[in-house]
Amino acid sequence: MVDIMDTTDPGAPPPVARPLPPRLEVTPSSGAHEPAAEFSSLPSKLAVRDLDFFYGKSQALFGNNLEIKENRVTAIIGPSGCGKSTHLRCYNRIYELYRDQRATGEVVLDGQNILASGTDLLSLRRRVGMIFQKPSPFPMTVFDNIAYGLRMHFKLSKSELSERVEDALKRGALWEEVKNKLNEPGLALSGGQQQRLCIARAIAAEPELILMDEPCSAIDPVATGKIEELVQELKSSYTIALVTHNMQQAARVSDFTAFFFEGRIIEFGATTQIFENPAEKQTEDYITGRFG
Amino acid sequence: MSATPLRLSGPPLAPRSVARRRIVNTLVTALAWFAATIGIGVMGWIVVTVVVRGIGAWSVAFFTQLPPTATQSGGGLANCIVGTLVITFGAAVVGLPLGFFGAIYLSEFGRAGHVATAIRAVTNIVLGVPSIIAGMFAYAILVLPSHHFSGFSASVALAFIMLPVMTRTAEDILNLVPNELRESALAMGAPRWKATLGVVVKAARGGLITGAILAVVRVSGETAPLLFTALTSQYWMSGLFGPSGYFGGPTPNLTKTIFDFSTQPYPHLIQLAWGGALLIIVAVLGINVFTRLLFQRGKEW
Repeated sequence: MVDIMDTTDPGAPPPVARPLPPRLEVTPSSGAHEPAAEFSSLPSKLAVRDLDFFYGKSQALFGNNLEIKENRVTAIIGPSGCGKSTHLRCYNRIYELYRDQRATGEVVLDGQNILASGTDLLSLRRRVGMIFQKPSPFPMTVFDNIAYGLRMHFKLSKSELSERVEDALKRGALWEEVKNKLNEPGLALSGGQQQRLCIARAIAAEPELILMDEPCSAIDPVATGKIEELVQELKSSYTIALVTHNMQQAARVSDFTAFFFEGRIIEFGATTQIFENPAEKQTEDYITGRFG
Repeated sequence: MSATPLRLSGPPLAPRSVARRRIVNTLVTALAWFAATIGIGVMGWIVVTVVVRGIGAWSVAFFTQLPPTATQSGGGLANCIVGTLVITFGAAVVGLPLGFFGAIYLSEFGRAGHVATAIRAVTNIVLGVPSIIAGMFAYAILVLPSHHFSGFSASVALAFIMLPVMTRTAEDILNLVPNELRESALAMGAPRWKATLGVVVKAARGGLITGAILAVVRVSGETAPLLFTALTSQYWMSGLFGPSGYFGGPTPNLTKTIFDFSTQPYPHLIQLAWGGALLIIVAVLGINVFTRLLFQRGKEW
């Protein structure tokens, strides 16, 4: 297998940068290097410390510790029900929609523990975007879908707004397909387009971290290919955490991989190492298809 | 068949008789057809009777003139048509928003909590309360203290009937909206109210409008609640206050007038009552069909 760490083209220009709000500095990975050494040298976007999670009285996550590196794709893999989605849903506290769900421990985003009370959820969720398993366009036009977050979080003139909508659709690799359908309902698009619409909608609001919860499990292989390509392009400007039950997908698109089993993180490391030389027996069994 | 082992161990299983299943199947199908025919047949009979007896009453005068006295001929139910529309509209203004926001509370905020569970239980009880109780309620809180009947008290009584219907329907419809849509809106950083009104309600709007219209239609034919509240009147409703106003006195309406006229010994009044009944049936049926056609695509989820 080729070294998947270096699929980013260092020569590619970063996506259109605009003055508002300040964008992260893009540091494309360059040249071959030892993944383990790279891991410790890379800046960390988010750190999870001793994260426990409860659905009512039943515990779903046990002492999770994980680091999400800036401008990298971190894949979370594991068999169904192992807690990967639950884990991801702590990063933007979306689980709080359900009153019996509760997380303890720390999720530190840029030095701030977002699980602490007093965290402003609205601005947290602007900084941390999320893509769900099932494409979920809002019941409005393509344009309004993309403009949703922009209108909510920023003061923009009409021309700025449409400029940014176009920009987001371009970055979401959807512009060419929908530029003549901006006033049609988002639900009229195909499944794969809807999912890219959701990605464009999320990046329009200028998030720093993008969470993807099995974004390709409800769409066909061609659309999946497009989204995987998109993930590769997006990581130069964003940090991405990707939950997937498709191991090939994790191997193709991620830089680091965490293997979850029964609510615990069994192994976490460079994707190449996890897939080629796993340290744990359980990881090896899972990635070689012996269970899960 | 007997050559195929049905189990790996033990004696072979004895198959049941197929003939018996066929007979039972035929019987059950026949029973279902019979029941459906009776049910739909009776409905059809009612509609046909009302059409046959009522259509003769329909004339220009029926829709434009005041009701006649026992000795007059001609006349119509124009004042009652207007009164029923006003009373029903008033009920909708009071009942629909309450029911709508009640449903939003139940499906979006209360969910499985104690308060929501209690509200749901009360709603179910009120849903089953005879409509005359709603009339007595409005009588007790509005008519008695003010010492006069009024169209407004009738609207309140009807709103009281409409409220649980709207709440339950709207909650059911909001529950059909997938949670992923709620999560997506919240994950964009939308505050709860914005996610609810801008995304969830919008997604369910077709169903909600249908539910609202059906709730209005449901009460538009009520008679019992009007006995204690609007009563009826043979005059035009005039203005809001004063002895013949919406707030001030007995208000003309179709159902109570039908009730009164149908017990009269005068054939021309009975004929008008049939005409009024036909009007209600046609309106209810028409609105039902119209709504269903209009919002068929509301079932996107």
